[in-house]
Amino acid sequence: MRARCPNCDNPVDSDAPKCDKCGALFASGSAAWKPVPVADDRRYPVGYPVEFTASAGEYFRIWIVNLVLTILTLGVYSAWAKVRRRRYFYGHTRIDGEGFEYRGRPIAILKGRLIAVAAVALFYGTANFAPSLIWLLAILTACAAPWLIVRSMAFNAYSSAYRNIRLRFRGTYLQCLGLLLWTGFILVVTFGLAYPYFKARLMEFLFRNHSYGTTAFEVPDLSYFGIYVRAVGLGLFVGLAAALGGMFFNAVVGDGSRAASTLIGYIGYLFIFSYIRAEIANATWSVVRIGKASFECALRTGDLFWLYLVNIIAIVATLGLAAPWAIVRAMRYRAQKMTVFAAGGLESFVAAESAEVGAEGEEIGEMFDFDLSL
Amino acid sequence: MIEFDAIFYDGRTSTRNAVRVRGFPRSLRIVGAGYDLEVPLAAVRVEPPVAGTRRLLHLPGGAQLQTDDDAALRALFPRSNPLETWVHGLEGRWAYALAAVAVAAGFTWWCAVYGLPLAAELASAHVPTSIEAKLGDRALESIDQTLCGPTAIDAGKQGELSRNFAALTAGQGDGYTYRLEFRACKGMGPNAFALPGGAVVLTDALVKLAQNDAQISAVLAHEVGHVRHRHGLRLAIQAAGLAALIATLAGDAVSITGLAVTLPTALLQSGYSREFEDEADAYAFRRLKEIQLSPKYFAQILARIEESRNKDPDANRGSGPERRRSDLGYLSTHPATAERIERALKNQ
Repeated sequence: MRARCPNCDNPVDSDAPKCDKCGALFASGSAAWKPVPVADDRRYPVGYPVEFTASAGEYFRIWIVNLVLTILTLGVYSAWAKVRRRRYFYGHTRIDGEGFEYRGRPIAILKGRLIAVAAVALFYGTANFAPSLIWLLAILTACAAPWLIVRSMAFNAYSSAYRNIRLRFRGTYLQCLGLLLWTGFILVVTFGLAYPYFKARLMEFLFRNHSYGTTAFEVPDLSYFGIYVRAVGLGLFVGLAAALGGMFFNAVVGDGSRAASTLIGYIGYLFIFSYIRAEIANATWSVVRIGKASFECALRTGDLFWLYLVNIIAIVATLGLAAPWAIVRAMRYRAQKMTVFAAGGLESFVAAESAEVGAEGEEIGEMFDFDLSL
Repeated sequence: MIEFDAIFYDGRTSTRNAVRVRGFPRSLRIVGAGYDLEVPLAAVRVEPPVAGTRRLLHLPGGAQLQTDDDAALRALFPRSNPLETWVHGLEGRWAYALAAVAVAAGFTWWCAVYGLPLAAELASAHVPTSIEAKLGDRALESIDQTLCGPTAIDAGKQGELSRNFAALTAGQGDGYTYRLEFRACKGMGPNAFALPGGAVVLTDALVKLAQNDAQISAVLAHEVGHVRHRHGLRLAIQAAGLAALIATLAGDAVSITGLAVTLPTALLQSGYSREFEDEADAYAFRRLKEIQLSPKYFAQILARIEESRNKDPDANRGSGPERRRSDLGYLSTHPATAERIERALKNQ
């Protein structure tokens, strides 16, 4: 329950014995000072904006120097490079002035990468040279998928700390397998129409199994149906626009209608992609609670679309040299639109014991390019 | 004595404690916010510096010190993290960053133009022909499913061309089992293409376009050249290598857009086959002369393919002696046909 101090307006717990800020003592009895209850949680708790202090120039130098070291060491250094890049971004993401900390160890990541390379070689080798064994590969992949998800989540959580307290992921292989089997079944019988259901269950699974120290992430049941219905509507609109645009181009210029349609199609696809990204992040983060902390995520489709479009053009036009700038820009925008609300501050979270996690899951997942960004 | 301000986290809660740290030769003394701790230096794990972020010290028992006083830490722990400290120095200067850009660009260019083709050539020599044949079979399967249908050429003509092909490939002693496949391929126009392992596909349109069997043999000799030089396999290895290279270079940029990655791949990829075509041509001229056919037939059929393509630019997609020049002309996948015709005539 949130409340404020009647003396200095500092947010306090309704059952707090005294105000942290002005020191006013709260006691029972009619004449004593008492915390004043605050009706609307949202309005009152202190909002901490998420600050992102990275600069494109600084990150560019880190990126290119580590890239060249990776090249010169024939890839061995890539694990160190990854840690340096992550440490830079984590350290520059700050809440209440305190930066995040990336604790992944290069040696663990290197080991993970070697296993990942072997797994990828095995996968493509089998797919190309022993196609008769493809069914075996499919079964193996299906069995490995929950393991990859759980392990990479666990590694990333274990490697992330804020105020010297690690995140933790407790989801188990069997839970994840059950989830994938059930939602996979629903997806098949609905011919894929249940994708929003799948996505919502997966996000619930990922969020609910995270905790910050001993404090679990709480998420009510999620539903993304509205978002995807509107995305499909947008898709129809884009298809129509592409067809009309092609026809118009054909009539006016005389040639290249296919190119015009394709271009409109791609841009439209990017817009829908931005829409889904923004809406899902907003819908999810806005209901997440970690103890007394809640979040506001206010991404806007238009902003995100423009950001991605400019990033793509810049990266292509500079043959990739603008990638660091593009990444910093995207991360800064996401941080700017995120606010943490925490009554009573961020000082009272408690650390948990957690066992070390290997990096193989994360690295294999990365090589096969699956992205489970929260 | 070295002293610095720091924030102390005890590792049990997220409470921030402002402390003063004093560095002694063998220990740190942490004082403030109700703490007075002595920690041996040897038990402290120092995190390497990262631009613009606080320095972190891990203390025994999971506690942590965070400080902005980089100079103090350098003085206290002069030998910690030598690798990362050196890298941090490189990261701090634009001169090194620009040098790194030059190295990265030079390396990428060298790999794409020389390194990968060379590596693919060396690697392909170690791939047994049986595996090549498997690759070829898979390619043919997928071609049959997507691009090509059964041939309409009558059995007599097929037999005749197959006999010529057998004569062309006889006594090569290169371990390949050559076979000629007839297909009707829509949208590919007059074309022939070699698959890894020895299968050569001939389109009905090319059979119709050719004025005589010698012209077809000339094209087939060119395709056999591709097989012998393992161009299909080498191209596959090069493509895989290039994808791996770009994935490594792009790193975390990949997640931003696939497009930025695939576009340069396509640009680089199209540059490869020039050399391959020349190699295949050279083989064709030599082999044609061995079986008493003049390379002029190769010149003739090239000219006819060129002519038919000019009439119907859309009909020339796919791979073969005249691949895609019409729609990807600016990428100059193939040496100009005129040049090749000239070379064929010179080689008579």
